[in-house]
Amino acid sequence: MPVDGMVKHSVLVVEDEDNIALALDYLLTREGYTHDRVANGGAALARIHAMRPDLVLLDVMLPEMSGYEICQAMRLDPDLAHVKILMMTARGSAIERKKGLALGADGFISKPFELTELRSEVRRLLEG
Amino acid sequence: MTSKAKPFALENLGLRLRVFLFFAALAIGAVGLLCLGLMFGYRRLDAPGSLNAFVQGGVIGSFGVVGLTAAVWYLFDTHVSKPIDVLAGALRARAHADVTAVMDPKTARYLGDLAPAAQATALSLSETRNALAEAVARETTRLSAEKNKLAALLSDVPVGVLLCSADHQLVFYNGMAVDLIGAARKGAAPGLDRKLFDYLREGPIRHAHRRLTETDDPDAASDLLCATRDGGDILAARMRLLPSDGTAAPGYALTLRDVTADLAAHAKREALLAEVLDRVRRPAANLATLLAVLPQGAPTPPDMDAALRQEVNTLSQTITDLAKRTEDGQADLIPRSPLRVADLTDGLRARLEAQGLKLTDQDAPLLLRCDGFEVVSLLAKVALGVAGLLNVKAFDLTVTEDSTDAHLRLGWQGNALRVADLENWLALGLDADVPGITGRHVLTSHATDIWPETLGAGHHAICLPLRMARRTGPRPTPIARAVVYDFDLLGKARNDKIAAQALADLTYVVFDTETTGLLPGQGDEIVQIAAVRIVNGKRVEAEVFDTLVNPGRSIPAASTVVHGITEAMVKDAPGIATAGRDFHKFAEGAVLIAHNAPFDMAFLRRHEPAIGARFDNPILDTVLLSAVVFGQHEDHSLDALTHRLSITIPEEARHTAIGDSLATADAFLKLLPMLQGRGLTNFGAVLTELRRHGRLLKDLN
Repeated sequence: MPVDGMVKHSVLVVEDEDNIALALDYLLTREGYTHDRVANGGAALARIHAMRPDLVLLDVMLPEMSGYEICQAMRLDPDLAHVKILMMTARGSAIERKKGLALGADGFISKPFELTELRSEVRRLLEG
Repeated sequence: MTSKAKPFALENLGLRLRVFLFFAALAIGAVGLLCLGLMFGYRRLDAPGSLNAFVQGGVIGSFGVVGLTAAVWYLFDTHVSKPIDVLAGALRARAHADVTAVMDPKTARYLGDLAPAAQATALSLSETRNALAEAVARETTRLSAEKNKLAALLSDVPVGVLLCSADHQLVFYNGMAVDLIGAARKGAAPGLDRKLFDYLREGPIRHAHRRLTETDDPDAASDLLCATRDGGDILAARMRLLPSDGTAAPGYALTLRDVTADLAAHAKREALLAEVLDRVRRPAANLATLLAVLPQGAPTPPDMDAALRQEVNTLSQTITDLAKRTEDGQADLIPRSPLRVADLTDGLRARLEAQGLKLTDQDAPLLLRCDGFEVVSLLAKVALGVAGLLNVKAFDLTVTEDSTDAHLRLGWQGNALRVADLENWLALGLDADVPGITGRHVLTSHATDIWPETLGAGHHAICLPLRMARRTGPRPTPIARAVVYDFDLLGKARNDKIAAQALADLTYVVFDTETTGLLPGQGDEIVQIAAVRIVNGKRVEAEVFDTLVNPGRSIPAASTVVHGITEAMVKDAPGIATAGRDFHKFAEGAVLIAHNAPFDMAFLRRHEPAIGARFDNPILDTVLLSAVVFGQHEDHSLDALTHRLSITIPEEARHTAIGDSLATADAFLKLLPMLQGRGLTNFGAVLTELRRHGRLLKDLN
């Protein structure tokens, strides 16, 4: 919905770590995005379908369903083709990055991340 | 036993010379008698005017006697002496060198029944020999089958194995050992009966050997670290003494493992751990101190807040940095031997075809650092899963380079594979033969992961990145993988005085060169050198020297017609300085043998200054050896000699340096027992005999 002539983007955070979710909540609020959070991999896909966010911040290690599975499922679903995916991982190894991008993620950042780095990555994906 | 010059005796002369002397004595005697008779007649006649008539009669009569004797000698020499020599040579060949060709009956047709009798004897000898040979062959086949099994086993063991005699000469080595001692890499192939210390530094090995021989425990083993000659590689070795009969010092077995990478990785990891503790301890302590003094519940003063942020940042950055370096180092810790993509593909194809699935592939010239069995098992497991779940019958495998990694993609036409299904298969056991090992284990131990990909147009794949060792050239020659040995060397007594050494105990290098022409003094040069080694009376199949040489000048078309070597072929070949140095190294410590050795040696000796080494090896010449055995009147060309000894040279190998070296070596091995049959058992005796025949070469050249 337009706010001050700008499009207000929506972001869904899929993250089971409460402290990280708290930090992201703080950041996304400050940036003025509509956002929501799911803590469980198994519930993520249903919420994505319901919410149709512009961007999903997707953790790799999740209970019930891994971030990779969610990422692949989204990319195999034409309805969700326009949804951007930014994957986050605590280990951040080169092989994880390769795997995430191969499965269709649009970006990949490692934890702990600088908030400025995350902000610019989110802006890049949402605003082009 | 040194050879002394024999006192003059008629028996020492050749048969033909003796017959000649006999006829000469006959002629002189007859002329003398004739003269005496005429003189006696002249005196009795007492007519001074008839002197001229008597003298004329004497001269005519003498010429007649000498002419007649010469004619009879010539016939006797042609039809009796020569055939006896030929027959004797042929009989010697059959007696000592196992030649079975039928003797030519025409050569001795004037010797009555001698030739047929000799032929019959030879035939009977050959029949007896055949029967014996058959029995021996049966037993040999059985033994050689066992030997081959052992050789196959030893060539496949994943450690280097070396066996050495008590004086540290190589008696056995397998392909892995060749790789480990770096010999193949540096172009210096190892050889039987060479010193181990040409390849490894001697200190630790001598020390371990001495310690083991001093302990009286036959089962004792000694672990040691030793370095290659250039110090580039560090090898962990285990030495164990070989059983000995108590008379000679025992030899030993060395098993080798390359620990250069292990040691380096270990040291790197230790250093990293020390650094982790050091760099994490400081910010962690600072944080704890700051938090301890922070007033609870009250707002944080701005300078405290800044200090906290700074310490947290430092800690976080340190951990990120160290994590990245740990990951980079992890791959170095995987001690895996390089595997060719083609071998991996073959393994996978065999597994899939056994299940009725097809696999097409494009070979990539890459060496992968991975455990072949585990990776093939993993890919096969996934492929079978895909085949069952998605009803796929045919797969394709492509391998692409991706900086330091290689990406293996196993693709199929059809539906996509879900990550969840793939993860389920990875959690299962891979192979019934190795319980407990799952696909996930394999991925973790290779520091990698696997994922499905969509390649477009219904083409899907799973992608598996693996560490790539390097791009590879063509397969190394099978020599490197072979096992080379001669256990008889273990019991061989050594003697530095070559002249007194038994012929059979010497090490020989038989060589041949091809050249631009026949005149080394007028600018002709070597274009090819080849050589083979004979150790302990046997040709060592795997130890071959064969190189083209850039002559630094044009090759006349007439020479190319003979040896088939063109200027284009030698364009990138080493020059004589390099090739000569390599050949000198190959021939070190051996007796050099060539057919017409002075010819080849003249070409080599001219370049001794450039090569930087002298060819001071003892030299034997098969032309002269042939003359000693078969007599001087025979044809001693290599073709004639090999034909006489029933050695066949394939037409395409003739006039190649290696073909002629092999033929010369085989001829020498057949001449050896014939020389021994004539009582020439040590090197000195052969040299003395050769000197007598030396002038023959001058005639031939």
